[in-house]
Amino acid sequence: MDTVIEVKELKRTYVTRRGFLKKEKRVVQAVDGISFEVRRGEIFGLLGQNGAGKTTTIKMLTTLLAPTAGTCKVLGCDTFGQEKQIRKRINFIFGGEMGVYRRLSARDNLRYFSNLYLIPRKERDVRIEKILKLVDLADRADDLAETYSKGMIQRLQIARGLINDPEILFMDEPTVGLDPLGARMLRDIIRRLKEQGKTVLLTTHNLAEVEELCDRLIIINKGKVVARGTPAEIKGCAQSLEDAYVKLIEGVSA
Amino acid sequence: MNLAVLCSTMRVQMKQSFARPMFRFCLIANPILNTILLYEMYRSAGEENFMAYVVLGAGLMGLWGCICFSSAGDINRERYSGTLALIFATPASFPGIILGKIIGNTLISLLTLGISLLTAVVLYQVPLTLGSPLYFLLALLAAVLSFVVISSMVACLLTLSRKTELYMNCIEIPINLLCGFAFPVSVLPGAVRGISRALSPTYAVELLRMSVWGVNDLAAFWNKLGILLGLTALYAVLSGLLYRRIDRRVRIAATLEVA
Repeated sequence: MDTVIEVKELKRTYVTRRGFLKKEKRVVQAVDGISFEVRRGEIFGLLGQNGAGKTTTIKMLTTLLAPTAGTCKVLGCDTFGQEKQIRKRINFIFGGEMGVYRRLSARDNLRYFSNLYLIPRKERDVRIEKILKLVDLADRADDLAETYSKGMIQRLQIARGLINDPEILFMDEPTVGLDPLGARMLRDIIRRLKEQGKTVLLTTHNLAEVEELCDRLIIINKGKVVARGTPAEIKGCAQSLEDAYVKLIEGVSA
Repeated sequence: MNLAVLCSTMRVQMKQSFARPMFRFCLIANPILNTILLYEMYRSAGEENFMAYVVLGAGLMGLWGCICFSSAGDINRERYSGTLALIFATPASFPGIILGKIIGNTLISLLTLGISLLTAVVLYQVPLTLGSPLYFLLALLAAVLSFVVISSMVACLLTLSRKTELYMNCIEIPINLLCGFAFPVSVLPGAVRGISRALSPTYAVELLRMSVWGVNDLAAFWNKLGILLGLTALYAVLSGLLYRRIDRRVRIAATLEVA
C-alpha cells in the first residue's frame, strides 16, 4: 500500500497581537513536531482533547493553512506550494452547522460546489442525485438549507464533501450534532468509501467510533503525538480504549 | 478562469444577496432616501439639471453602498458561515470566484440608478434630460467596469483581515465624497482633490455627468475615458498582484476562518 499522507516534524505556530498602544505578542504552538503516515485505503484516526492540534493538522493537510515547519505532503505534493495538484483529489468535512449556503437549497449548494470542483455538467446532475439519496436528502433537496435541522445540514455537508469523488476525505468531528441514525449513516458511508479504496482521515471524540472504524490512529496532546498504533495496540491491557486514552492523556498532562 | 465558475458564482451571489434584508434596504430604500435628500439640497441651490446631480448622485451613492456592504461584506459573511475556507480550497481559481461575486453584485446593484430615476420622476415630476444617450451608455459601461475592478481590489484586501466590517464602513462615505457622487470634486480643497484624481470613480462620475448634459467637447470626453480605463487597468494589475500574494498570506496568517 502506498503512502498518501506524509507528515514529518510538522509544526504550526499562531501569533496574535493584543492591545492598542502597547502591542502584546502572544505565541501559541498548536502543533509541535508531529509525524505520521497514512496509507492508501486506510481509515486513520486523529484523537485528542479540545485544543490538542487536530483541527490545525487537518487544515494544514487540506491546504488551508501554511505549516510553520516540517513536511506536510498529500498524494506526494506539498500542501503549501503544490496545492493545485492536491485540491481536485481531496475534500473535507468540518463538523457543526457551518459550511453551507443557507439561502440556497441542498441541490443548489451541490450544483455550485460541483462547478467549483470543475465537474463536467453531464456528470454533475447524475452525481448530485446519487449523493442526495446516499445522505437521505433527496426529498428535501429543493428546500432552502435554512429550513433544515442540524442533522440535515450536517448531511448536506457530507454530501458536499463527496461531490468530487475524493481520493482522500478529511473529516473533522463529522458526527458532532448528528442523531444516532445520522451518525450510523455516516459510519456506513465511511465504510463504503473504504471498500471503494478511498482514504479517510478522521478526528473524533467518540472512542467507540474510532474502535469501530479506524485501522490505525494517533493520539495527540498539546500538539505532540503521545501514542500511535491500531485501536487494539493502543488499548493494550486496558479494559477499553477510553480507559487507555484517559490514562495516556492524564499521564502526559500530570 | 473558468466561465462556468464565473457564471454560477454570479447566479449564487445574486440569489444570496437579494435574500438579505440589509442588501434589499441598500438596493431599494437607500437610493429613494438619497434622491429625496439630494433633490431638496439642489432645489434650494437653484440647480436645474436634476438628472446630473440628483438621479446620478443618488444612484451612484446607492451603487457604491451596495458594493461596499455586499462585495466587501460578503468576505466576512463567508468567513463566519465557514464557506470562505471551502471555496478557497476548491480547484477553481479564488480570484475568479471573487470576481464572479463582484460582477453579480454590481449588476444587481445597477438597479439603484433606475430606482433613483423613478423616485425623481414620481415624487417630483422633475424634467429629466439625457443629452447624449450613446455616450451615456459608453460611460456607464466604463463606470461598471471600474466599479468591478475597484471592488475586486477591496475584496482582496479584506480577505487578509478579520476587521472587514470596520473597513467597509470606513470606505463607504469617503468614496462618496472624494469621487464627487453628490457634488462636484471642484468644491473640495486642493490637496483632497489630488486623492480624488487617483480614484477611477471620479472620472466615471464626470463622464456620466458630461453625457447627461450632452457631450460638446468630444476631446475632453475621450480624454477622461482614457484616464478612467487607464486607472482601471492599473487597478486590475494591482489586484492581480495582490491576489497572488494573498493566496500565500491568508494561509500563513490564518485569516480564512474565524478562530
